Amino acid sequence: MSEIIPTLAIFWLLMVVSFILMKRGLSIFNDVAKGMVMFMLEKALGPAIDFVQGKPGSASRTWIMHGMIWAMLASILTFAGLWLSHDPTALHSLGAWGYSPDSHELMYAGRFAALFGAVGMMVIGAGLHVVPTLSGTNLASESNATLVSGLWTLSVLILVIGAHSKEILGVDIIVLGTALQILAMMAIILNQLLTISNATRSIAIPGWLIIFGLIGNPLAVVSVFLSGAYGTGVGQWLVYHMIGGTFFFCGIAGVSLYASSMGSGNPLWSRTLVGFTLFGALISINPMGSTDPSMAVDMLGLEASEISSSTQDHISGSFLMALAMIPVIAYSSNLLVTLRGKDAFVENADSPGIAEMNMGAWMLIPIAIGSLFVQTDALGGAGELSGISQTLDLLSLWAVLMPLSLGTALYVFPQVSGRKVLSVSRSRAAFWLMSGGAVAGLTFTIMADLNDMALIESLAENPSSITEELRILGSVTFYGTVLGSIFHCTNLISGQFRGEKLSEEVESSTSLSPHAYELTSSTSVRRILASGATLDTEVIPVSQSEEAGSATEL
Amino acid sequence: MSDQGSSQITEFIQGEKEPQSSSVVIALGVVASLSFLLLYGILYPGREMPVVSELLPMFEGVFDSGIWFFLLGAMLGIFAIIGTMLTEATSE
Repeated sequence: MSEIIPTLAIFWLLMVVSFILMKRGLSIFNDVAKGMVMFMLEKALGPAIDFVQGKPGSASRTWIMHGMIWAMLASILTFAGLWLSHDPTALHSLGAWGYSPDSHELMYAGRFAALFGAVGMMVIGAGLHVVPTLSGTNLASESNATLVSGLWTLSVLILVIGAHSKEILGVDIIVLGTALQILAMMAIILNQLLTISNATRSIAIPGWLIIFGLIGNPLAVVSVFLSGAYGTGVGQWLVYHMIGGTFFFCGIAGVSLYASSMGSGNPLWSRTLVGFTLFGALISINPMGSTDPSMAVDMLGLEASEISSSTQDHISGSFLMALAMIPVIAYSSNLLVTLRGKDAFVENADSPGIAEMNMGAWMLIPIAIGSLFVQTDALGGAGELSGISQTLDLLSLWAVLMPLSLGTALYVFPQVSGRKVLSVSRSRAAFWLMSGGAVAGLTFTIMADLNDMALIESLAENPSSITEELRILGSVTFYGTVLGSIFHCTNLISGQFRGEKLSEEVESSTSLSPHAYELTSSTSVRRILASGATLDTEVIPVSQSEEAGSATEL
Repeated sequence: MSDQGSSQITEFIQGEKEPQSSSVVIALGVVASLSFLLLYGILYPGREMPVVSELLPMFEGVFDSGIWFFLLGAMLGIFAIIGTMLTEATSE
């Protein structure tokens, strides 16, 4: 029996209904609904709402700061997980304190921290700035959005604990964490919907990407339950990838396309490609992620089932995953061309996030194609490539999702706080450490995975020493992400207090940059730039006469 | 006698920027302490280091994997973040 098409049909229907309701409103119930939602977001919370400040931008700032801290914790957990994959007893001394994690538990905890803690919080935080800006209004409730950042962080903390021990005192910890996260997510969705209902202008498509990313998450879960596919392996695999394609892909695409345009100062290259990104992301199945949907299974409290797809499911699933290449390529190319604009260069020293976004967009296409092969293989039941699935999932997380969300957060954070990061050079060093550590470290680990797969295929009895050496090299190199995330955190925190003010920067840049440069004789570009000219300075040739001069008449 | 013209200042002031030579002084101190530790080994061969030799056995079987070298770095980083938060919030 087919599971994929009926579930997606329900999902598409729910999305269309949601869009119509957002555009047309609730008719006569509009004002009542708005008033009730506003009451639920603020007054209904009682004295709790008074604990947080409601200044414009405070919610976005809090979410991004939490996301940065989670990025650091996620990198430490993932590093430790990679290390324990070649040295399982490395942390045995912690057993004296009752903590004896294995590699799988640490990696699982690292995935929760990275996906929902770091990426999720930075995307939601950036969205809290982007959607009101694109709507030409203020966020409906800054106080509520600030407050629920604490609830979300608590839910991620519970999920990280649950990754180590799923059940504590008879309570399913992961389901408890998910329940808290749903509560926080509903508050953010209602807040954003209320914000766009007060829009003073039509919202650009990146804004819709963020909105659909937010509502796509619960609607994907509802679709799977309505279709009854939640009990099957294919249905569980599908809901995992639907959440990846909506909340993570659409959310990141929306905020990063906005940040790429604003950060580089170039207009968004193509509106059509953004439309393709939105439409394509909703109708296709995003192949990025693990072949094992246990994360979604644990979060929804389901019984895990083996993926045994019917021929129809295999064909439709493979086709829809191949179709996902359209939004992936459209988004990546749009972002890369927007960053460059009319110039040949990307470097913009004033925007620390640009390099991260550039890297994430470059890595997206090859990793998405790799994931497509691995997922198609897994859905067909062959499982020949399952050996590299986990590391490919980590690569998509640390080389695509993390740089894109981090780059966006690094652009948005100064906009909402009013101050830039403390040091651009430290930010650049952190970028090289994080990107180099993630790409090189996980590439070495994939090489070790491939080596293991080859040994299993050849029925070799003794493990190869080169596999262990590659795993050691991979885990040590991945440590760069730990250092990079620490640098980013300290840079951002110090920038809050001592960073250059954005308003000061505008004044100084206009006084230092001449609008015109008079060229009297041949000179080098270096000299022109050294005189304070920028790329926008107009070079005006001034004609000279070779005739002998005479005394100036007074 | 009059106090006028005196070079004394009535308020405590400190420079906002760190002089480059201060890091040289710190490096010199670290090098000197390491040199004296080496010198101890040369002057008293075979004798255990005071205090340090009593502390190290406490960590036997605890930090017996290379991962602890990296985790200590990560812990330093976490403390650096907490320290940055505290010092930035309380300065001036």
